[in-house]
Amino acid sequence: MASPCEILVETRDHVLAKKLIHIAANEAWRIERKFSRYRDDNILYQIHHACGGPVEIDDELALLLNFSEKCYQLTDGMFDITSGVLRRIWKFDCSDNIPTQKQIDALRLLIGWGKVSWQQPFITLPEGMELDLGGIGKEYAVDRAAVLISQVSDLPVLINFGGDLYATKPPNSRESWQVGIESIGGLNKTGIIQVKSGGIATSGDARRYLERDGIRYSHVLNPKTGWPVQGAPKSVTVASPRCTDAGFLSTTAMLNGVAAKSFLEAQGVPYWIQN
Amino acid sequence: MKKHKKITMALAVATSSLMSVTPDVHAEESADIGDWDIDAAVLYYTESDRVSAFEPVISAKKQIDTDESISLKLTLDSLTGPSANGAVPSINPQTFTRPSGNNGYTTSANETPLDDTFKDTRIAFNASWEQALTRMTRLTLGGNISNEYDYLSLGLSAVVAHDINQRNTTFTTGVSFANDTIEPEGGLPTAFGVMQPSGTLQPRQTDSDDKTIFDVLFGVTQIIDKDSLFQVNYSYSQADGYLTDPFKVISVVDGVIGLPIIEDATTNLSQVVYENRPDSRAKHSVFTQYKRNIIGDVLDVSYRYMFDDWDINSHTLDFRYRLKTSETTFWQPHLRYYQQSEADFFRPYFISGQHPGEGTDNVYATSDYRLGEMTTYTVGLEYGEKYHDHGWSISGEFYLQSISEPTKKVGQLVQQELYPDVDAFMLRFSYDF
Repeated sequence: MASPCEILVETRDHVLAKKLIHIAANEAWRIERKFSRYRDDNILYQIHHACGGPVEIDDELALLLNFSEKCYQLTDGMFDITSGVLRRIWKFDCSDNIPTQKQIDALRLLIGWGKVSWQQPFITLPEGMELDLGGIGKEYAVDRAAVLISQVSDLPVLINFGGDLYATKPPNSRESWQVGIESIGGLNKTGIIQVKSGGIATSGDARRYLERDGIRYSHVLNPKTGWPVQGAPKSVTVASPRCTDAGFLSTTAMLNGVAAKSFLEAQGVPYWIQN
Repeated sequence: MKKHKKITMALAVATSSLMSVTPDVHAEESADIGDWDIDAAVLYYTESDRVSAFEPVISAKKQIDTDESISLKLTLDSLTGPSANGAVPSINPQTFTRPSGNNGYTTSANETPLDDTFKDTRIAFNASWEQALTRMTRLTLGGNISNEYDYLSLGLSAVVAHDINQRNTTFTTGVSFANDTIEPEGGLPTAFGVMQPSGTLQPRQTDSDDKTIFDVLFGVTQIIDKDSLFQVNYSYSQADGYLTDPFKVISVVDGVIGLPIIEDATTNLSQVVYENRPDSRAKHSVFTQYKRNIIGDVLDVSYRYMFDDWDINSHTLDFRYRLKTSETTFWQPHLRYYQQSEADFFRPYFISGQHPGEGTDNVYATSDYRLGEMTTYTVGLEYGEKYHDHGWSISGEFYLQSISEPTKKVGQLVQQELYPDVDAFMLRFSYDF
């Protein structure tokens, strides 16, 4: 998952705790192997190298595509799993290396879920287009791990895959799990969220940006324009019954830029914003 | 400012369908189905100065599907040590002939006559198959075979359990049938035949005989609330055939001095006759049980009332409390009280001249303490550790059997204890893989 993952299990039963941790870790690795864009032995690689031909996919990916399609519709195209290609030109390495409009326009031809033919179980991607499940993969892995763990134990477990997390239930020893939100911008004012159960996800990364002529470009890209979203908060954290929901809501809030707060208000979910 | 739509509802629907299907890859991992759950136990039982038993048991259960399972159990029993032959003690040493008729054993003066020939190994195998018939009905079919040197038992059973009332009430109906064959060394003694000196002809009827046992059970289990349940069972058991114990005898004593009549002066053989029991027995029993979860602890109390047409009735009270001492450990004290009345043909001994003649098989008599009036007490303690996928436990039980002495005894028998208390200790170790 390219980020630290941790599983907290509250029990005295070491054997069971180990087993639960293995379940979660194996599920994370499985999902990473299956949906990573950086491998050449998985279904995503086959889809990307089908030269515009149809590829038959399994139920799990089909569910993820259906879900992504729903997200695309709910956000009027702002949440788009085909937008990953923009990363080819946008390298958020804190430099002033801003791509040209010409480069952006060229890539915009390869973006848009509407250009994908998706007729379960066959997906056909126009040549050059890519699917990027990075926006939901980690949250999905958290929820999947939670499902698998709850099948074998009803212990209080907190699953944390790189800041996206899920608590199965409150710990026995205290009222809720204490989750710290990393402060952004050097103020070192760490927030603590009390989580009883459910999912928490955070979007935003203060270490990934570009800056030119005094303008700071966040790493949140608008798939329609190909440009970073203006005025997005530094980070948005959302709590929701599932981690996948929380992740989608926090990402969508970022895509709303300056309207992130009003978007979250309208959703009626608990959220924490750092500007 | 742009008015935002509330999308959380639609999103919740989308994520629930996303999480609804288990990816194929887990078909094999969620294969707790298909694994054998194996449990092994060893029981050691010892009665002071009498029988001791060593019994390893291995049982395995396999969940074939979510609504189908099979269970197998293999038991090996090894019994050694002497057991009471039913004769009375005497102020003189007494000699008896072994069941085989080939040689004898001697009991010292004032000692309970014990037959030390008792040594046997039993092997038993049970298999059962449970399958859901409908969403609310389960069927369990079982078979068992048990074999020892002189005994073979074959049985079949079927139990149907039906849930109603949102699975809060379960009705259980079961039937079982068993056929047992006994073929003791030396053959089956003739009713009230007089034991003869070893090496001479013994009163024998046939080599083997059998009995059939038919049981039916009706039960209701009711869940009272989320922490407690109550169960009531009625069962009827009908046994027909050879129900006599071929190794038990009854002393014939002098009506005044109470000394066993001497049958053979050269060998000191006391006069004893082989017992005879009715060839049918119908038992009724009612069993009630209450279980309650008390913040992780489990209270389990039960009571059973049994009566039969041999005029025996019994009461059993059982109490267990499983005390959870941590997430993984427990202690469980166990108390049991059992009380039974004697069979209407219970005779501790015969007065000489009053015992039925050899072959009188329509008269019944036994001096076997197991059919006498008795009270037993069991006190036990179990300690166990349970983990998600394994566990073990060890338990020790002390058992005291107090058998009532006959109210009227003659002559020397007044000073003798015909039925001394029997105490036993049982140790059991169990490991769940």
